[in-house]
Formats: sequence, C-alpha cells, structure tokens
Amino acid sequence: MQVFGLVLVPWVGLLGFLFPRAWAKAIALIVSLVDLALFVTLLAHTGPGVNWNWIPELGIHFHLAADGLGLFLVGLSTVLVPAVILASPRAERPAYYFWILVSESAALGVFLAQDLVSFYVFWEVVLIPIFFLLSGWAGENGHATALRWLIMNLFGSFFMLIGVVAVGMIHQTQTGHLTFQLASLAATNFHGAAGPWLFIAFLVAFMIKAPLWPLHGWMPSAYGESPPPVTALISGVLSKLGVFGMLRVLVPLFYPQMRAWEPWLIALAAVGLVYGAVIALRGRDVKMTAAYASLSHMGMISLGIFSLTTAGAVGATFYMVAHGLMAGGLFLLLGWLERGTGSRALSGLSGLNRRLPRLSAWFQLFALAMLGLPGLAGFAGEYMIFQGLIRANVAAAVVAGVVLIVASWYMIRLFQGAMQSTPREEAAAVDLNFGQVGLIGVLAALVVLLGVWPAAITGHVGTLRPSPYHVVALVRQGGSAQ
Amino acid sequence: MINPVLEPELLMGLGVLATLILAMVVRERSNAAYWSGLVFAVAAGVRSYTLHPTSHLVGGMMVADGYGLVVNIMVTAAVVAGLLLAFDSERYTVEFPALLLLAGLGGMIMGLAANFILLFLGLELLSLPLYILAASRRDARSAEAGIKYLLTGAFSSGVLLFGMALLYGSTGTVTFINYTTLHLVPVLLGAGLALVIVGLGYKLAMVPFHMWVPDVYEGSPTPVATFMAFGTKVAAAAALLRVLAFGFSLTSGVWGLALGYFAVLTMLAGNLMALPQRDLKRLLAWSGVGNAGYVLVGIASHTVSGAQAALFYLLPYGMAVVLAFAVIRVLEGQQEGAQMEDLTGLAHREPWLAAGLTVALLSLAGIPLTAGFFGKFYLIKGALQGDQWGMAIGLVVATLVSLGVYFRPIQYMFRPGEGRPARWSVGAAVVVAGAGLATLFIGVYPEPLLHFVAQAATFTWLR
Repeated sequence: MQVFGLVLVPWVGLLGFLFPRAWAKAIALIVSLVDLALFVTLLAHTGPGVNWNWIPELGIHFHLAADGLGLFLVGLSTVLVPAVILASPRAERPAYYFWILVSESAALGVFLAQDLVSFYVFWEVVLIPIFFLLSGWAGENGHATALRWLIMNLFGSFFMLIGVVAVGMIHQTQTGHLTFQLASLAATNFHGAAGPWLFIAFLVAFMIKAPLWPLHGWMPSAYGESPPPVTALISGVLSKLGVFGMLRVLVPLFYPQMRAWEPWLIALAAVGLVYGAVIALRGRDVKMTAAYASLSHMGMISLGIFSLTTAGAVGATFYMVAHGLMAGGLFLLLGWLERGTGSRALSGLSGLNRRLPRLSAWFQLFALAMLGLPGLAGFAGEYMIFQGLIRANVAAAVVAGVVLIVASWYMIRLFQGAMQSTPREEAAAVDLNFGQVGLIGVLAALVVLLGVWPAAITGHVGTLRPSPYHVVALVRQGGSAQ
Repeated sequence: MINPVLEPELLMGLGVLATLILAMVVRERSNAAYWSGLVFAVAAGVRSYTLHPTSHLVGGMMVADGYGLVVNIMVTAAVVAGLLLAFDSERYTVEFPALLLLAGLGGMIMGLAANFILLFLGLELLSLPLYILAASRRDARSAEAGIKYLLTGAFSSGVLLFGMALLYGSTGTVTFINYTTLHLVPVLLGAGLALVIVGLGYKLAMVPFHMWVPDVYEGSPTPVATFMAFGTKVAAAAALLRVLAFGFSLTSGVWGLALGYFAVLTMLAGNLMALPQRDLKRLLAWSGVGNAGYVLVGIASHTVSGAQAALFYLLPYGMAVVLAFAVIRVLEGQQEGAQMEDLTGLAHREPWLAAGLTVALLSLAGIPLTAGFFGKFYLIKGALQGDQWGMAIGLVVATLVSLGVYFRPIQYMFRPGEGRPARWSVGAAVVVAGAGLATLFIGVYPEPLLHFVAQAATFTWLR
C-alpha cells in the first residue's frame, strides 16, 4: 500500500487552494515530505505493491510495485521535489505548488507501474502539470513553450498508445488472454511485421520525453524560460522518465529489435552525446550550457541501455539517480546565480568567487560532479556505463570517452568564466542565504555519498526483482525479464 | 396493455403532452413547463435504465435491446441538459420544453428502430422540432441557422428516403434483419446503402456533409446547440450503427472500406477546421465534426470492440461537449455566444467555471484521468481488432491536431486579464457540476459504465 500512498499523497496538495495563499508553500512542503517519509519506509521494506483489477472489460490492471528499476528513481523524485518546493518563491500561487505535486505523483506512477496501461496513464498525466507550469510561469513566451512541450510529447505518446493497444492485442492473439501486465507481455513474441513499427513507436515517445537528440526540439525553450525550480524538476526528475521507459518497456519487450538495431541505436545516442556537448561548449548562457550538458548526459544514459549489457543497465539506473541529483542541484544554483546577479549570460558574469564565495564553492562541487570527477556520483555511473559499452561497441566507448573530455572542458569553461576571472564591475550581488546553503548541502551530501558508496544503490537493487541486473540477462536467455 | 419496452418512450410522450398543456394553460413563460419536462425526461431515462432489455422484434419495427436502451439514456441526458441550460432564462419561450422533449422522443425512437420506416419517423420527429428551436431566437443569425438546418435537413431526409426506396425495391422489405438473409441486387444495394449512409451522415455531421454544422450551432440558442451536439449525434450514430451492424454485417465489404476513409477524412477535416476558430460555439461545432469521425472509426472497423467503442465514445464526447456548452451558457449572459477572448483570466475570476471547461477540453483531447482517454483507447482497440491500422493512425494524427484546438482556450483561461463576467444560473451550475464530475469519475474508474455499454453493444454476428 505504500506505493499507492506515494502516488496518492501529492494530491493532498489540493488543500493548498482552501487555505490562504501564504500557506501554500508550507502545505506543499509538508505533503512532499510525507511522500519522502513513505519512500524511506519503502527502503526498509519493499512490500508487494498493489495489483487491482482496474478495468477487467479491457484487461487493464492498476499495478504498482517498487522494484530494482524504479525504487531509487522514486527516491530521487521524493528527495528532489521538496528541494524544488523549498527553492520556490514564498508568494507563489497555490496552483504552482499543486502542479508540482501532481507532476511528482505522475512521475512516481511511471516509476512504479508494472502494467503497461497504468504506465501509459501516468506517462501522459505528467504532461499536464508541466504544461500549466510552463504556460503560467515561463515568462512572456510561456504559452508557445508550453504548447511545444505538449504537442511534441503527445506526438510520441499518441503513437505509443497505438503501440500499447497493439502489444496487448498481439499478446491476446498468441495466448487468448487480454492483459497489459508487463510481466506477461515480456514473454510475448513481437517478431511479426508489426514488431519494428511498435518498437519505433515506443522508442520515439521515450526519446522525445528524455529528450534525446534529434527529438529535443521542446528542450531549449522549456529549460531556458521556465523558473529555475521548474527547470530543476524537469531536468532532475522528468527527463528520467524517457530513459527509464527504455529500460522498463523496450528491453524486456523488444529485445530482438534492439539487438538487431543496436549499432544504429548506439550511433544515435552517441551523436546526441557529442551534439549536446558541442553546443554546451559554445554556449553563451549559463543555463543553456547546463541544459545541453543535460542533453548530452541523457545520451550517455541511453548508451548504457543500448549497450544491452548488465553493466550498462546497472550503470544507467545508477546514473539516472546521480544525474537527477546533480542536475537538480546545478539548476537550482544557476537560478540563485541569476537572481543574485541579475544576469545569466556568460559574458556578464565574472569573478563571482570573490563576490559570491558560498555560491561559487557549491557551484564548483556540482560542476565537478557533472564532469565525472571520481569520488562524486557522476563518476560511478559513467564507469559502469563504460564497462558495458566497451563490451558492446568499442567505437562508441571511444566517442563517449572523448565527450567526457569535452564535458570537463565546458564545465570548467563555465566555472572559470563565471567564477574565476577578475571581476569586471562591482555591482551588488546576493550570495546564498543560510536556508539555501542547507538545501544545496543536502543534495551535495547525497552526491558525495553516492560517489564514495555507489553500492548503496547498486547493492540494494540487486536484492529486488526485477532489477537492472536481470533485465538484460533474462531476455537474452529468452526468459521473462519481469 | 402497452408493451413495457415502450415505457420510456411513453413517459417522454406524456412529458410532451404535459408541457404542451402547461404551455396552453400558463400562456406566458413560467418554470412549470420546464419542471414537468425535466421530471418526465428524467423518468424516461431512469425507466430505460431499469428496463430489462429484450432482443425480440416488436411488431417487426423495433428492438428494445440493451443498445437501444443505452441510446435512450444518452438522449434523455441530452434533453435534461438542454432543459437545465434554458431553465431560468427569460429568453426561452414556453414552447421550448415541449419541442425539446419531442425531439428527444424522436431520438429515442431512432435508437430502437429496427426498420427503415420507424427510423425515418424517428428522424423526422427529431428534426422538425429542432428546425423550430434553431430559429427560436428572434434575430437574423438564429433565423439563418433555422433555415440552413431546415434546408439541409429536408435534403438529407430526401436522400435517405431515396436510399430506403432502392433497398426496398431490391428486396421488398424494410426490416433491417431481413437484409442479411435476402439476396440483394448488387447495384441497388450499393446505391441504396450509399444514400442511406449519406442521409444519416448529414445528421451525424460526416465530412463532406457537414457544412451546415458551424452556422447552425453558432446561430442556434446555446441550449438547443447543446442538444444538437449530443442528442442528435447519438441518435444518428446509433441508427447508422444499427443499420450497418444489423442489416448489412455480411456485406461489410461493400461499405467498410469507404466508411473507413470517410471516418479518417471527417476526423482530420473537423479538427483542422476547428484550429482557426475564435468563436467557441463554432469551435465546438467543428470539434463535433471531428468527433463524428471518431465514432465512425468504431462503426467502420466492423468488430465487436469497434461497435462497443463507438457507442461508448458517444458518452465521454457528449458529457464533455455538454459541459463546454454549459460554460458558454454561463459566459454568454444576455448576448449570444462567446469568443476566445472572453475566456481571458477566467481561471482567476471564476475558478470553478475554468475548472469545468478545462476538464471538458482535456476529455475532448483524450488526456488520461478524463473519460475521453478511455473512449479513444477503446476506439483504437476496435480499429486494431479489425486490423485497420490506417484508421488507428488517422485517429492519432487527428487527435494530435486537436491539441491545438483544445489547449488554446485553456491557455486563454489561465492568462491574466479581464474577460467577460460570468452569470451563473442554477441549471447551468447543475450541468457543469454533473458533467464535470461524471467526466472525471469515468476517467478514473470507467469499469461499471464500460461493462454496461459493452454488454449493450455486443452484436454477436460481428467479428
């Protein structure tokens, strides 16, 4: 029942509409902390979850359970959402907090769903709160940004809906039993003429949501114009939905197609990896640099999955969590930087380590984590992904290695440009306050913890079924991965 | 003793008489006629629900099976919505309830008809009061709506009659079920069936027989447009499905493919033409055209799932469109209709109204947790069961286009600024609350309704 509680509790945020506006933030924070507490109980004891016969007429179950793939992404969401709420302005309207909580609920639903239709329902519900957040809070062009986000994502999702229905019906013709349980679908054979098309439908939807090159068209405006806490939410939590979907749906259901197209998939992800890094390197805007760095990292995670090795899958799972913490923290810091100095153009920022010593120090930590410094969370994930990638495709591993060098380059360029050069003007700048330091400190502590003790995640998920350790190995043997 | 299967129709007929007599007695506008109309319409709906369905032909004319009863319930719901929206407004005259109930009675008869004669009677009984109602506002646009509706309606009736005549001439029978056993002359069958589909296609707003829809919806009083959007569409779709699934299920090779193309064309054209609309009633009219295409997908797929999906889809669509029209009714006040700009800032001025319209539009767009999602899900399942991938893809593309239609009004509502003030009435509030909650409830837990409708629309001779 905890898993159902996790999805349900954020809706309590509706209470925010009943109380005075000044209370909205506090109510949202309490609600999100309750969710975090539920995750902690889940860590202690991963129950069987809930499996209700939701719509027997159509063979749809409401099946939520925490497993090795989703458990720590649930953790990431429940940690990051309170941070996002804390970092938001106090006087924001109740609707703002409500939409953040709804997006949390939907994201948790995706991470926990074990039934393809449940998965799809949550997958689409995620779009609506972000649509409203972008529409109302992403500045002058928010409406266009929001529509682009919605239409691009639903383009993928609607074709995926055909895929969802078709997958269920192919299962029905093979077994005489209509179900959308992922565990049952994994045993189905999609070798028919429809197989590749279904695979493409799912793949495109996942690639758009992540986003992965070349389907990242919604990303620049959505990342660039939304308020920093919302950027942190999208980049930290929601971008994981796409790559998570690959691990959850594509690998167990479409392993033969993935195997057949593996070189192309790897090439696609590698191009995205390079593309994001190159744009980040040329960026003149700190937030956009971080956004394209994030795009590049999505390419890295999907490389781990496309390598179709156990190490790659485990590395991707780990790196999703690590990247969520790092990107979330980095975008929050950049938001404070913009608010403190009034500028986010790289040319307008210089010598901040003297003017903003605290912000500069924390920024340094997160930049180093992003570029994959050993001892911080990014490194452990990248290492495991490399391990898988070298076994699958040496050329791609070489490309990824080069990109890691570029990544250090753009991150250091960002850091040096904004922080280290001599200050040009002595305009007033506001450094982090006590609360902000505490908030970023918690995220930083987790980044360090995962860096020095990755087994906290990789060890724990191994005890669960299904887990990233078994997803690839089992489909390879022809058994059920779920 | 009257056959109990006719009791819903009897109740509706009594309602017509009662409201007519009240109109005579009271003479000026009073709420008595509305109240009695409401009571009889609700009673007819409840009786349809409690009635035990049978699959016997009554007098070779009608079948009060589960399918017909579901159609009855939907049509009475449309009547109730129309009455509630017109309830405490000075502008709707005392004949209004009688005419609306009469149209509803026609729609109910179309749902039961198993015979072309009765189908035609039902269609005319549905249409004639609507011609009057469309023109009942005393201004130029309403008169235009009335005359346009009358002309296209008369024309489509003629086309339908001609088709019926060809089919009768070819076989000597007008009862649907007999067409499955008799040998049909191919030319007469093709021509007759085509004309029947065209005739019903006019009422359903199937492209290319849809041109009357935007003008008529825009010009008609909003409660009347509400009934047209829901009640007329349900009756026409139900009749079309009944004709095709009852009488011509074995000759689906003749009509299945053509209807599939019309379905895709209707979905795409309706949603594309809805994109540039700024008048909300015209927007909903074009959306109604697009949604007629969705229903046609279910019919054209010619599968059990497809028939079930077509019938089920009418309900989420109907509730959403009734909800949207109710919001327009609250916004329009004394002046008829509402523009996109009138919505500006609605979320801040009238949060409940904005929430209602948001739910309606999300449901029309097929977003999960609203009823529309399962409607689309079911339709895709129906299309795939018939191995009609093209229709499923057409449906998805059309829905993608419709996002631009349905999310623009939402953005206007959440934009800061001053739009038109709202004038709530009790009737409209009841409709907004009822349709909104039902849309959300079905979106979260559709099983009871889905099961009910699926049982009703299981034609065993389909694949």
